[in-house]
Amino acid sequence: MQRYLIMCRSLTYAQRASQALERAGITASISRAPQQLTGNGCGYCVSVAERHMRDALNALSRSGTPYGKLYKIEPDGRYVEVAR
Amino acid sequence: MIYLDSAATSMQKPRAVSEEMLTAMRTMASPGRGGHRPAQLAEEKVFECRVELASMFNVPEPENVVFTMNATHGLNIALSSLVSPGDRVVVSGWEHNAVTRPLVMLGAQIDAVRTPLFDTAAALEGFRQRIPGAQCVVCTHVSNVFGFVLPVYGIAKICQEYSVPFVLDASQSAGALDVDMQKLGAAFVAMPGHKGLLGPQGTGVLLCNSTTTPIIAGGTGSASRSQSMPHFLPDRLEAGTHNVPGIAGLLAGVRYLRQRGIAGIEARERGLIRALAQSLRAMPGLEVYLAQDESAQAGVLSIRHERIGSEELGAALGAVGVCVRAGLHCAPYAHESAGTIDTGTVRLSVSPFNTPREMSRIPELMSRALALASA
Repeated sequence: MQRYLIMCRSLTYAQRASQALERAGITASISRAPQQLTGNGCGYCVSVAERHMRDALNALSRSGTPYGKLYKIEPDGRYVEVAR
Repeated sequence: MIYLDSAATSMQKPRAVSEEMLTAMRTMASPGRGGHRPAQLAEEKVFECRVELASMFNVPEPENVVFTMNATHGLNIALSSLVSPGDRVVVSGWEHNAVTRPLVMLGAQIDAVRTPLFDTAAALEGFRQRIPGAQCVVCTHVSNVFGFVLPVYGIAKICQEYSVPFVLDASQSAGALDVDMQKLGAAFVAMPGHKGLLGPQGTGVLLCNSTTTPIIAGGTGSASRSQSMPHFLPDRLEAGTHNVPGIAGLLAGVRYLRQRGIAGIEARERGLIRALAQSLRAMPGLEVYLAQDESAQAGVLSIRHERIGSEELGAALGAVGVCVRAGLHCAPYAHESAGTIDTGTVRLSVSPFNTPREMSRIPELMSRALALASA
């Protein structure tokens, strides 16, 4: 199953994002961001399934939850940035 | 033993507080550090507590709830964020050293509104006259010495009219009176976790609605390549490892309070204090500081004796099993305002766990203490 990462600037923001997505009925797991995606060192992200991606972004916007860049996890493990 | 020193620290806590702390110590690591299960459990607990506190105090977002060591820590952050040397800062005449000492350290010009004890209208008018042109206003919600409830919503409104940042010291009101961050429009609200919120010592909360200046720097588990503190809350103000067992205990205390209802606790504590005051007033030699208007006093009562020193009476009460605090209570401003700076007072303060039966026993125990102190 294809997954996307929504970058968050801190743990608390990732938790807020996860909570907003949960309220919208979207399962999202919080994890530490992959090393290569944390330009400033140590970040957090929430991971959502591809089929929920658009709804997830809408839910975050509706709830006023800030988020950062979006990445698609390719089958070979690479992260590809996608437009918001 | 009858514990009447909850204005210092509430000693009786819901059982869940110590149970949650023990669970945290046994199962949780640190939030924002590792990605493993013990770290995740800690992260979930800390976030739950932020969300619960944000809901309780009507804070828009959980990241605006910052964990501190105590109210003093929070007040130091708030004042360092808002006050520069030479600024005129208006405070009430009932402030604790947790407000006035940081202001002195920051080089502020303290402008104290000295008004009569329990005179709410005079306090409001005093602030109205002094707020224009001030750089900041700091006010305690409830005097830690006399239980005087300051008209903080009115004071905050005047601050809004003049665009002066308002800082509330909710040390004696959080968990006992309604504290609404958005209704106040406050820049900061500081409170301890270990008093009315029924959490353990070493916990405190700062509600933030202003730009902030960290007073300590260090690791936050975020933006680690940068050598500056992150610009976003709560990380900006939470350097170092969190007190996870403390926060877990605090969450249990807050949930207990919300289940029981703040309005009910407020009414109960007021009732206990008034019953206590009425019975002590009948005792010769005791001066009892009771507000005529019930709404002007929360669950704190001060007394003094015409002949026996406050420290001596406090010690004698301790010897007969009544835990109180005597002296100046780290609040010389309050004692100067009330005219008790040379004698101090004996303070009796209640929590949701005190009972009418305990209050009914105090006169007899007070008689024994007075006899002991006179001997």
